[in-house]
Amino acid sequence: MTTLLQQLVYGLILGGTVGLIALGYTMVYGIVQLINFAHGEIFMVGAFGALATFTWVIPEGVKGTWYITLPLMVIAGAVVSMVLALIIERLAYKPLRNAPRLAPLITALGVSVALKEAVRLWYPGATAPLPFPKAFLAGNIDIGPVVFPKTGLLLIVVTIVLTTLLQIYINKSRMGRAMRATAQDPDVARLMGINPDRTIVLTFAIGAVLAGVAGVLYGIHLTNISIDIGFQNGIFAFTAAVLGGIGSIRGAVIGGFIIGLVKTIAGQYLPGGTQYDYVWIFVVLIAVLVFRPQGLFGETERVRA
Amino acid sequence: MTKTFLSPPIARILGIAGAVLAIVAAMLPWTTFVLNKGAWPDKATLQFFDAPFALTGFRWELFLVGIVALVCSVVKVPAQRRVLRGLGFGVAAIGLVNFLFITAEGGGLGAVTAADGASAFGSVAALVAGGLLILGTFGQPLEEIPRWKTNLPTPVEYLGLLVSFAVLLYVVSLTLTAGGQGGAANPYSGPMFLSFLGFGGGLMAAAAGLGILRWISKLSEKHRAFSIIVLLLCAFLLPFTNAGTEYWMTVAANIGVYAATAIGLNIVVGLAGLLDLGYVAFLGIGAFVAANLSGAAASSLGIHLPFYLVVIISAAIAGIFGAVVGSPTLRVRGDYLAIVTLAFGEIFQIAARNNIGGLTGGSNSIPNIPPLQWFDGTAYNESITLFGTPLPSGVLYYFLIVVLIAAVMAVFANLKNSRMGRAWIAIREDEDAARAMGIKTGKAKILAFLCGAVLAGIAGAVFAHKTSTVGYESFLFMESVTLLAAVILGGMGSIPGAVLGASLLFVLPEKLRAFSDYRLLIFGLALILIMRFRPQGLIPDRHRRAELAGEDAEGHTLAETPGDEPEQPRPQEVPAR
Repeated sequence: MTTLLQQLVYGLILGGTVGLIALGYTMVYGIVQLINFAHGEIFMVGAFGALATFTWVIPEGVKGTWYITLPLMVIAGAVVSMVLALIIERLAYKPLRNAPRLAPLITALGVSVALKEAVRLWYPGATAPLPFPKAFLAGNIDIGPVVFPKTGLLLIVVTIVLTTLLQIYINKSRMGRAMRATAQDPDVARLMGINPDRTIVLTFAIGAVLAGVAGVLYGIHLTNISIDIGFQNGIFAFTAAVLGGIGSIRGAVIGGFIIGLVKTIAGQYLPGGTQYDYVWIFVVLIAVLVFRPQGLFGETERVRA
Repeated sequence: MTKTFLSPPIARILGIAGAVLAIVAAMLPWTTFVLNKGAWPDKATLQFFDAPFALTGFRWELFLVGIVALVCSVVKVPAQRRVLRGLGFGVAAIGLVNFLFITAEGGGLGAVTAADGASAFGSVAALVAGGLLILGTFGQPLEEIPRWKTNLPTPVEYLGLLVSFAVLLYVVSLTLTAGGQGGAANPYSGPMFLSFLGFGGGLMAAAAGLGILRWISKLSEKHRAFSIIVLLLCAFLLPFTNAGTEYWMTVAANIGVYAATAIGLNIVVGLAGLLDLGYVAFLGIGAFVAANLSGAAASSLGIHLPFYLVVIISAAIAGIFGAVVGSPTLRVRGDYLAIVTLAFGEIFQIAARNNIGGLTGGSNSIPNIPPLQWFDGTAYNESITLFGTPLPSGVLYYFLIVVLIAAVMAVFANLKNSRMGRAWIAIREDEDAARAMGIKTGKAKILAFLCGAVLAGIAGAVFAHKTSTVGYESFLFMESVTLLAAVILGGMGSIPGAVLGASLLFVLPEKLRAFSDYRLLIFGLALILIMRFRPQGLIPDRHRRAELAGEDAEGHTLAETPGDEPEQPRPQEVPAR
């Protein structure tokens, strides 16, 4: 029982990360129908951006005070991710807006490979996993025999808060309405006086900011990052987005938590153990795509953005 | 391209000046001092620059291009601007490659301009010459590519084809060996190879501009059987050329395995339009099956079957897996399908990494797979003597792979023109319309996956014996992406395209070992650039060319190709028979 609860905790923490990344996938896919393979790498670059800020920008004296370093690192990660995503959107995806579907997908693959390699080549020491500062309260909250790392709790809380804010923004604000309209029908949205290009850029930016934040919190929780975290978590996140129903904000996050739980629990209880825990995620992905391609919330929640 | 900001006489003068400058550049020194790794090749370093007219290597190549450019800009040749532009790009490429390399190796611009009172402006001159040549063609719009007669007497056409293919054989041999084998003894093999590519590419572009390439392809289409026999013969003659060393034969055989696999992938992606991101798993399945049935000591089965049986079993098992992976296509489409195939590929990779069932050796791989044996017991990795010529070891594998590629090509060509192939193309164009026309789309799609997987399985069986070690590291996601990139780079749905794409993607890393660190970065950027500027690939399939370079259904112009060929379909084109 304790093991199960403990695995549930770890699953929720992983799910928080995956959910935050999945938001970017689901929004971008909802609006331009592009599987943005580079999104996972944007998450990774966000983490590295924050690490660079910590290493070279934040003065030595305050490095130990988490309530100064944490906000700075989160902002740095978010900004780095956002700027990168906007550059990618402008240079790689925008020229292909009307090309056949295969072209942007392959471009996204290329961007993903190039980003990962660029970090490996030019970030000092990135050829091996790098230690990441634990810029938050150390230690655990003990709930009976189950331990809940404080950094993990932070991740989950941030995920839920940001998702709620995003949901409100998309449902209530003017720009949010524009995003939903563009997702439904870009041409009609244009007729209604919405600038689809601006909306798409905004979508990429929001997704990237969330991924950047996820990258920083992920680093703080695990206290080390490597260039490989992007691809792996990117695939998890895409699975989560599909599971929740592409286009659904709520679905992406709930999908993220489900993916996290599947991985930890399958790793604990299913044959093969942790060596095969990834496989179960892919099995879930395939099963969802085959039996319920619209995902959990794809049909009930018509609103996409 | 249609801007006419240069008057024709000025453009002409620019062209001539560029050509002359290219010739001059070939005779200039290129490096002021001896670089740390040794003098720049072909006596281009100032200290060794004793005989300006004794040209070798890249300087000889530049000189040749310059002479051709000079002749073409003075004499009236058909499609003059096209030819000159191609040559200009060649000159600029040679200049740029050497400029960048010397600057990087020499630690600054001093190495390529003037330092310590010495000057060496060769690369700068070549760059300027290339620029002038290209600029000179902006004077007026580019001409149509000339159309050559293809109704000559048959013997003359045969002779033309023979000569063309002989030249092709020579070019392939030169390209393989250009720059030599990299290593400590030859640190500059990378730039020398790239210079050669610039040289060859420039001449090819010029030949394409003259319409020669189109003429050859027309002729070879007309005399299909003859061309195939001659091409096969040329492939078998390659070991007898300069490329006939053990190293180049191994490289060629490696390329061949991936080319065969790429053709298989071309069925799935190019014909049926189903994006497969886990395709390398089928190559892996074929390889692991063959490894386990080869009698290798590390295989847990300990069975040793003859190779022809192994090939059949590998193909069958890969095919079964292909059908399984393809089965979600019944319900899943487009991007989602790509993700499903990616998931299957990852599952395979994880399973192989964890030595599933003791069949894959996990991180230990399956080593010491015995080589194949010829009927008289000669192992395939021994050297042999043929027609009195000693051939290096590995040459038998090369021959086997040539046969394999020929067979795969034959399968592909027949499938493409079969009822099923037409069904695939219909599905690629519009699945709903295809279904409305009575095509059983589900069956067709699964069959596409199955056929692709079978071809990859066969290639995998050969791969296992050739490399003698099979481990999961050979079948990672990146390999799938590389294969996909080979198909796309060459041109989807096109056979020569897949072979060319695979050759480029697997030759370049071999040649540019000094840059192996940057391999994937360049690869990623190249994917982006190809999609942006030439989505139809280098040798596009005829249908595909019309589709990708023309206009799509909504009337947007899709690809603004740099325009070395007018890409619009030509309905009025009637084959001259």
